Amino acid sequence: MKVWNWEGFWSYFTNLYLLEGALWTIGLTVSTLVLGGLIGLLLAVMRLSRHKALSYGAQTYIWIFRGTPLLVQLIIIYTGLPQLGLVRFTVVQSAIIGLALNEAAYLSEILRGGILSVARGQTEAARAMGLSPFQIFRLVVLPQALRVIIPPLGNSVNGLLKTTSIASVISMEEVLRRGQILMQQKFQILEVFVVVAIIYLAMTTCWDFVQRRIEAYYGKAYGATADRQLARDDH
Amino acid sequence: MPSEMTQGEQMMQPIIRRRGLLKAGAALALAPSAVRAQAKIAPPNIIKAGALVMSINPTLPPLQYVNDKGELQGMRVELANACARKLGLTPEYIRTEFATMIPGLAAKRWDMINTGIFFTEERSKLMYMVPYEQAAISFLAAKGNPLGLKTIDDLAGKRISVELGGIEEKRTREVADIIAKKGLKPVTVMTFNNFGEAFQALRAGQSDAATCIDATAMYQQQHSDFTRAISGVFPQTACFAFANKTLALAVVDALNELKKDGTYDKLLDQYGVLKIDSPTFAISGPGPA
Repeated sequence: MKVWNWEGFWSYFTNLYLLEGALWTIGLTVSTLVLGGLIGLLLAVMRLSRHKALSYGAQTYIWIFRGTPLLVQLIIIYTGLPQLGLVRFTVVQSAIIGLALNEAAYLSEILRGGILSVARGQTEAARAMGLSPFQIFRLVVLPQALRVIIPPLGNSVNGLLKTTSIASVISMEEVLRRGQILMQQKFQILEVFVVVAIIYLAMTTCWDFVQRRIEAYYGKAYGATADRQLARDDH
Repeated sequence: MPSEMTQGEQMMQPIIRRRGLLKAGAALALAPSAVRAQAKIAPPNIIKAGALVMSINPTLPPLQYVNDKGELQGMRVELANACARKLGLTPEYIRTEFATMIPGLAAKRWDMINTGIFFTEERSKLMYMVPYEQAAISFLAAKGNPLGLKTIDDLAGKRISVELGGIEEKRTREVADIIAKKGLKPVTVMTFNNFGEAFQALRAGQSDAATCIDATAMYQQQHSDFTRAISGVFPQTACFAFANKTLALAVVDALNELKKDGTYDKLLDQYGVLKIDSPTFAISGPGPA
């Protein structure tokens, strides 16, 4: 077997089957973020609730879904549930549900951290002004929490783009699995893997760009040197 | 009556005699291996002196599988062990999935692929292949074959689960092409990391059929909750595969010896596996350039 095959490399670089797989990876990531984000937000609020039942319920969920491997969760959702006669999800449904339920556990902790970072005085002042709990959360707490949430959340998105490849264990044909299938044709293993790595790098770089824009938007009120107290410069 | 020895020494006598017996026994046990230790082949033709390192994917009873003690069993294990003994080498197995085997052979992680790898023109140009078994493809269905699958055409519009990378995947895609050309409903091919997971998808009703070779399908029908719906498709030869020609030729000689002394025939008949048509073994195909 030769050392490197440029012709093979370029052919895989422009391979539509492989690039289509990248679209599937992005689709899985976005769906997981939306669904997982909503569940995660719900869990974070439950976890911070005064009602013990809600708090413990959320803690149990987080404990189970963070404590077991994603691969096992996917296989249980995809083959375990139908085998027990409970419910049958398709490959795509199982992948999204499994990824979302798993990611929600991690996202809820990030969201909870961000919410806790907002000074209590803000909530108290808002309540004194007569805002409802929902309004307080939406207008006062969440916008300020977001600045703290964005960096670790961006980290999660970056990781999630690559974690979606685990869905290949239930036969999901995302970009990495498609690369593995292509490899079996001419056994140009290195060339295919390098192309797949470049595709992942392109996706994560796009996300980095988006994340920086989002961070700039939510950091507007804090100026260019966001972590310095502006009040000090005023005197 | 006072004896020559103390009571303690008297108690020691049987132990000393037993130790003597143990030493004699150990010498007897070591003697045959001392004879065997004359390896007929050494590095650089093999990667580890005194051992024949082989890759195997032990998820296909009765040909290659792991029993509940974690020990490797199966026809292919026994045949390869017999060849290793003829060469004066200790068989050593690395359990891995099919997709890693051909690159691993090139990277000198193992000397030989022993997983029933099927002969193809492309593969015979990448490594030295020695056919030793004939096998055809089967399609497993859920118990009792509820969908009534009898011929290839019955697979139209169905979901078939299969292991990634092997000849089974290739043939499944060929069947999908045949059905597409006939204008029937398209087949969905679902690839899994190994046969265990492909069968699990069938068990959970996530696929309608699972592809594997005849012998494995027969075993699954007898021991598991599946029915072998279609069989005897695309018969082809299974091989041992090597990166090193000297080793390949040495194993060819070993196989010919096993044929002469009847071990090969007896072993394959015992497992109900088809032998190759030719009475002698040889490297098939050109090998790496």
